[in-house]
Amino acid sequence: MNEDDLTPEEIAELERVDALLADPSLWTEPPAELQEKVVEAIAQESGRLRRRRRTRYALAAVAASVVLAVGVTVTVQQVHDDPVQFSATVAPTELAPQAHGDVSLTRTQSGWRITLKVEDLPRRDGDEYYEAWLRNEAGQRVSIGTFNEGDYVTLWAPVSPAEFDTLTVTREVLDDDPGPSGEVVLTAHPQRR
Amino acid sequence: MAPDEADLAQRFAAGDPDSIRVVYQSYGRLVFSIAYRVLRDAGLAEDATQQTFVQAWRAAASYDPTRPLGAWLTTIAKRVTIDVHRRERRHRGHDDIDGTAASELITLPPSVDHLDDVAEVHSALDELSSQDRTIIRLQHFDDLTHHEIADRLEIPLGTVKSRSHRAHRRLAGVLVHRRTVNGTIDGGGGSDERG
Repeated sequence: MNEDDLTPEEIAELERVDALLADPSLWTEPPAELQEKVVEAIAQESGRLRRRRRTRYALAAVAASVVLAVGVTVTVQQVHDDPVQFSATVAPTELAPQAHGDVSLTRTQSGWRITLKVEDLPRRDGDEYYEAWLRNEAGQRVSIGTFNEGDYVTLWAPVSPAEFDTLTVTREVLDDDPGPSGEVVLTAHPQRR
Repeated sequence: MAPDEADLAQRFAAGDPDSIRVVYQSYGRLVFSIAYRVLRDAGLAEDATQQTFVQAWRAAASYDPTRPLGAWLTTIAKRVTIDVHRRERRHRGHDDIDGTAASELITLPPSVDHLDDVAEVHSALDELSSQDRTIIRLQHFDDLTHHEIADRLEIPLGTVKSRSHRAHRRLAGVLVHRRTVNGTIDGGGGSDERG
């Protein structure tokens, strides 16, 4: 490039950014669908915020009515019925001693939605994965799902944690055996909130 | 700030949902560039970009619309991206240490200063014409010679040389101007640490 008509400051700027101009980060385009993903994520976020505000306002109104009606027994009913929920802290075994986290189970029309959040549980890939189970006192087990890493896992169960009160997570390998491997890495005993 | 940008910043700060698409169209590529610079993975960069805009939306009420929106988003993008990088390093580093993707993520992220450079150069390139950007991309990113660019674009070698010179002169001018006017960078001013 003819640099005769560039000032020393401009030449210095071009030299400073020379390596960066070759970096893919400046030229890689985000996928076209990302815009809609962002818009949708924010719409969901706005909905959550609105619901929280509505609940707060409703509770405040109920509290105000209680104050005004002194001497009158008032049954306060929440705007949304509280769903039945269980939760527990998960305990690691010696196979994953660093792992820690918690689990919550919520009854829905479709079954029990189970949210498992575990940190420092090594990721398993390829033919290796984790499988979660619920077990009752009689030793009956129900598989509630499989996953690769435990950051934020949603599982589903058709049975109640009131009866199937032990949750375990095992290390599994893709093979012909659908049963648990016995390599338990996490256990939890959910209690009703 | 230009009037359009000021109006957009006002609408975003006021929580106008119609402003989201426009904000993304204005700054989505900038945020994605910052994330990609650190994470080197398009999927993770997508996640970080999405998280950046969601966090910005949550914090919109605390955003001062008289300040450049790009600088504010850049600050959030840097923080979110470093968080995603740490999370991935923690989770992949333990068990996939020989994997290519994992070993790339195990390296330290670029410093905040380097991320400011990405924002600065990205914003400067956005001020150039499409023709100028194409020449700079072919020369630096695709590493083509002037002869190869002439073949690729099917234009005379002399035209390539003059366009290349003009594009670099404009880019240098924009970079110098932004440094002079702002003291720092407009698109990614690291001085704004709110958010």
